[in-house]
This record gives sequence, C-alpha cells and structure tokens, in this order.
Amino acid sequence: MNEELDSQLSAMFDDELPSAECELLARRLSRDELLKARWGRYAVMGAAIRAEGGVRLNTGLPGRVSTAISAEPVLAAEPAPQRRERWGNRWWQPVAGAAVAAGVAAVSILWMRSQAVPDAPNLAQAAAPMTTSVVSGNASPASTAEPDSYVVPKTPGRRLVVPSTELANYVVAHSEFSSPVGRRNLLSAFMATETGTAGTSAGSEEPTEDVQDDAKNPQ
Amino acid sequence: MRRTRSSERSSTVALSCFALAWAMATVAVAEEPGKWLERMNQALTTRNYDGTFSHWQGGKVEMLRIIHRVQDGAVSERLVSLDGSGREFIRTGSDLACYLPDKRIVLVERRPPEESLFGGIPAINDQTAKFYDIKEVARTRLNRRDTHVITVSPKDEFRYGYRLWIDETTAMPLKTQLCNAHGKVIEQIVFASLTLSSRIPDSAFKPEVSTEGFQWLRNEAAPPKDPAAAASLVWDALKLPPGFKMAARKAQTMPGSTDPVDHLVFTDGLASVSVFVEAHSQSNASSEDPPLDESARVGSSSAFSTVIDGHKVTAVGEVPPATVRFIANSVKAGPGPRQ
Amino acid sequence: MSADVSDLSLVRRVQRGDKGAFDALVLKYQHKLVKLVMRYVRNPAEAEDIAQEAFIKAYRALPQFRGDSAFYTWLYRIAINTAKNAVVSRDRSPIEYDLDRNNTDESYDMQGRMKDAETPEGLVLTDEIRSTVNAAIDALPEDLRTAIVLRELEGLSYEEIAATMDCPVGTVRSRIFRAREAIDRRLREVFEGGLGRVEELG
Repeated sequence: MNEELDSQLSAMFDDELPSAECELLARRLSRDELLKARWGRYAVMGAAIRAEGGVRLNTGLPGRVSTAISAEPVLAAEPAPQRRERWGNRWWQPVAGAAVAAGVAAVSILWMRSQAVPDAPNLAQAAAPMTTSVVSGNASPASTAEPDSYVVPKTPGRRLVVPSTELANYVVAHSEFSSPVGRRNLLSAFMATETGTAGTSAGSEEPTEDVQDDAKNPQ
Repeated sequence: MRRTRSSERSSTVALSCFALAWAMATVAVAEEPGKWLERMNQALTTRNYDGTFSHWQGGKVEMLRIIHRVQDGAVSERLVSLDGSGREFIRTGSDLACYLPDKRIVLVERRPPEESLFGGIPAINDQTAKFYDIKEVARTRLNRRDTHVITVSPKDEFRYGYRLWIDETTAMPLKTQLCNAHGKVIEQIVFASLTLSSRIPDSAFKPEVSTEGFQWLRNEAAPPKDPAAAASLVWDALKLPPGFKMAARKAQTMPGSTDPVDHLVFTDGLASVSVFVEAHSQSNASSEDPPLDESARVGSSSAFSTVIDGHKVTAVGEVPPATVRFIANSVKAGPGPRQ
Repeated sequence: MSADVSDLSLVRRVQRGDKGAFDALVLKYQHKLVKLVMRYVRNPAEAEDIAQEAFIKAYRALPQFRGDSAFYTWLYRIAINTAKNAVVSRDRSPIEYDLDRNNTDESYDMQGRMKDAETPEGLVLTDEIRSTVNAAIDALPEDLRTAIVLRELEGLSYEEIAATMDCPVGTVRSRIFRAREAIDRRLREVFEGGLGRVEELG
C-alpha cells in the first residue's frame, strides 16, 4: 500500500487536492478497483459519522449503477478519438452501441458468398442444395382458410424454394435443440429479420416468377 | 466465523456489502449461479407466460411478443414480430409453423409427437464449467423487481457468453445479453411486459397474418425413422471444438422437400450447433462452378454451408461464425449402418 | 483552491469515455443521494432505486454537463426531479406481473418490492459498520478525532479546520488522512474477505 497515494486520495475526497494532482489521481482511481474500494469506504465512514438516519450503508447501489452503466454507450464529448484505455478485466464491459452496430455485418437472413459472386441466375441455381417444390402458390383459392391438404410431389422438379426458406427450415429445426435462451434469441432474430433485406443478396432470393413480385413488394 | 455465514448466504452478504461489489470478479460464489440457470431454463420451458420484449441486435431494435404455454404435456408457443416483418413462429404440439408474410410463405414442420422439446435441451453440468465461467455478479433491481445478474463467460472464442438478469421470484430472465468472447454485447432481449398466468386460451396461438395467397410448404408427416438404416452413409464430425459432443442424430425432411436430411446436433452443454447433411445434386447446377461455401447470420447466430463428398453440409448454431465453420468442415461420411 | 476540482477531474474522464471514473462519483455520493431521496419516499429500497435511476440519468446527461455549477449540485437537481417523478408515477411499473394467485406454489409480491429492504443480513451489517466506525473514532487520538469530525460532521474545509485547530493546513490534511486510515483498518475487517485480504498483500 502506498501511503502518499492514500493521503492524496483522502485529500481528493475532501476536494482539497491541487487540480494537477487530481487529474492524475482521477485517472488512477477510475481503473484501480482497490483504490476505488478505499474511496468508497471513505464515503461510508462519512455517512456513518453523520449517522445519516434511515440510510443503509451497505447497499449494492454502486454495483447496480455500474452494471447499468456498463450497458450504456461510452460517452465521448470530444470528436471521439476512441481512447484506447484498458478496461480492467471485467469481461462484460461492453462497447458503445455504435461500435457494436458497425461490427456486426449483417442482421438479416442473408446468405453471403465467400467467393466471387456470379450473376444472379447462376447463383440461384448453384446455391440450390436440394430439390424441393412449391405447392399451391398463387393457385390456392382466394380464401384465408388453411388449405385442407398439402401435396408434396414425389418427383420434385427444378428447385423452386428460395435459399432463405431453406435457411428458415434449418433455423427452425435447429431451434428445437437449443437452450431455452439461445432458442429465443435465434427465433427472435429470425422473426425480426427485415422484409426485403434478404433481397439484397445479389438477387438470389427470388427463385420463381410467381413469387417474385410478391416477395419484392410485400403487402 | 463471518466467512461461514457468507458461504451460507454468499450472494446476500457479498453483494449487500457494497465494497465487495467491486471485487465481483474475484468473489467466488460457487454452484449458486448454475442453479439460477437451471431455474431459468425450467421457467422458460415450463411456465405459462405472455410477454413483449425488445430485441436489439446490430443496432436495430424490434419489439416481439412471446406466448408460451404448457398444458397437458403439450407445449404451445407463439413468437410474433410486432413492428417489423410481421413474421410469426407458432408451435402447437408437434406442429411448428413459420409464417413469413414478407415471402408469402408458410413453412410447416410436423414432428414426431414422441419427440419432446425438453429432451433436446442441453443440460448444465460439470462439463459446462470447463468452458464457461458462471458467476453471480450482482443482485440488482430491474423494473422494480429483484434480479440476480448471472454472467456466463466463455473461456475461448468458440462460444458466446450470456449476461442474464433473472427474476428472483419467477426465475424468468427479464433481460438477456449475448456477449462475444471479448465481452461485447452483441444481442439483447429486454422484457417490456410479462404476464405469468395459469391459463392461456388456444386462441392466443392463432396467427394474426392473413395467409391468403401464401405458399404452404410442408414436410412429410413421417420422416425416415433411423438415419443409419435409411441412409447408406453415417455422418459424423471428425473434430469438434473443445467441449462439444454429439447430443442427437436424426433424419428428417424439411418443409417443401421429400429428400431426407440428416440432422446432427452437437452441444457443449450450453450452446448447440446443428449440422444438416443432404444430397447435393450437381446436376442442378447449370454451371461448372466449384461448390461454394456460404455463410449467413441470423441475429448473432451463425450458419455455414459447404459441400463435402457430394453432400451439402450446413451448420447452424448460436455460436460465433468460426465455430459453425469448424464443425461443418470437419463433417465426414463413414460407412453405414451405424458402427 | 477552486471548489469541485476533484469531482470535475472525474467528470471530465467520464465525458471522455472512462466509465470507471463514474464509479468513483457514485461511491462518493450514493449515501448523500439516498438520504436526499428519503425526503420523498420512506422506503429505503425505493430510495435506492430512485438514487440508482438518478445516477444513470446523470450519466446519460453528463455530455451536457459543462461545469457551470458544482457536480453535486447538478446531481442533486437530477435526483430531486427523479424522486418527484417517481412519487407521481409510483405503482405504475412498466412490468406488471399478473401472476396467478391461485397457483400458490410460490407466493408472489405483485410489485416485487418490500422484501429486500430489511433483510436481517443487511441490518446487521449496517449496525456493524456504524458501531465499527464509532468505536474507531472513539479510539482515535484527540487531534485526529477532532479533525475528522470537523470535516465529516461539520463540513469544514481544511483551511477552516486549520484555523479552528490552530495548525497548518498540511497538518490538517495529514490528521484527516491518518484518522481515515485508522477507521479504515477496522472497516476493512467488517467488509472482510475479498478486498481487505487482497489489500494486505499490496
């Protein structure tokens, strides 16, 4: 323990430390948990000496505020040259919302080619993993009632189902085996997928002429 | 002496003593946090509830509603996007339906009735502790409710971590953050309202979307029973990220298809990854392009698809992209039937 | 010496993105703020909730804080407003648990409050802290005790204390520090475990 440092801390607590020293100590205080704890105890003894009636001294308030603040964006009053400061080892220390947003490339159900993107028709077909078939389609009766029966052709013809549908199938099938929280995250993200975002994927989303217009102009 | 008391009521003492809150990272509160995860899982899967929550991911926020009911052993669940795509996911008993109004498609998957939803849920066990640090870091109040803040931090980059605000009374997670291995929050769910009630009517599980003119894609009611018997090849992952083990293997057909798909599930006790293997008919590809790898993100979950031995192999899971890629690439066919 | 320089150095750090500096401000002012809020609400737990909310609001508003007034004055106003609003909108919590009360496998408290405020553990610790501090002060040499009491109870500045005690300001600083050290030694025993233990090594 450093007596001079603690003496400075005590003076700073009383607002009796020269400002240059304050700057340096504030910097240290912000990242030194032991120093912070001592600082906190100085506040506790003050409260105890004043016998602040009805006030609990041993609250979890600082921890709760810290937890809440950690979910808040980092402030940057200046034109934000992101200060590369060490945050200690609290792993959950999050970053600014903006930084997260920038770091996450795609929210949507969006297949991305890891190699060069061929032109759209080729893409649609090359991406075809399985032969599946669309049933009913626009030929279904103009009624809101569910069809009574479904027909899956025994010999599927050319691939008609969009890749995102295929991914939807995977997502749903997988969700049955996720942890409850993981499952909810996954399905929520899938439900939250924006209309039309998937269409940006080099035109690979609209496989059939029939569906195409609807998919491009939903509702 | 005090130490004895603090081990009995570790969470209370540790956190009612505010100074210790600053030593959160170093205070060892064993076993309790894991219990909270179990209680939470139990609550999420067995309670009846109806709630709205915000889902934040990639800078976007969307409101969703979730309704969950367990009645006479049957699980009903409905998840609705309230202000975006209008998509709905509805489970009623053994039917899973996905309403995609933006695609004008309804996907319906009928699952064998004996297949319990709970059977597949990964269980938190000693193994889990090897790959995650599970801690209670705070007791806090969220929306005027007492909550336990539990962090689940991954010890490597193959998995995500969680930060959970678990309601003390109901064990429901009122707020959930998904964090990457560096602790960055990448996805967040916060309940805006939540009602727990004993009775939820059937009508709550009817879709709101009009399905007029929608395509209905459905899988065949009875998928092949045994993957090993049905297929000539048995698929497995030769190498897995540390801690992952195969948890399930089944064959199924996907909505809109008659082709069987092998479905393998790997889990580390918390995160899970599904691998889907299906025939990849080259004849359909009009060009001579070599098979291309594809990847996708669904929220913070990842998918990766590649072609192995003439089969399309796709891995999907709520894990980082590298993990699904690792697993998909290590899948190989062995001679069937099962060894 | 300009007042508030210590708070301002912390505030500036927070404004530049250092969340850790905000911890120090919370630690310093939590008791004052809770005491303040207790004028509006009687339940300590609720007061803490409001204080917590005030701190979070302050954090969010900190980019707008220009230092025209002292930080605590500014924080004080936020806390007062938060407390007033809380009183007005009390019992209109955003989360409503419509829990089925027939289903009594667990008993629920509709507002989810009341329970936590007065846990026996909490009270014991509070009393323990208070009596520890008082005992430590009683055991202090006269000059140290006078210095710390004048500072904490009477709120005098070092200069005023120096005038009262007829000694240099530097001596006041040292007396107050030594008093705190002595109290802190006892206090750490109460807070036992983690911090105190680790600190001995350092």
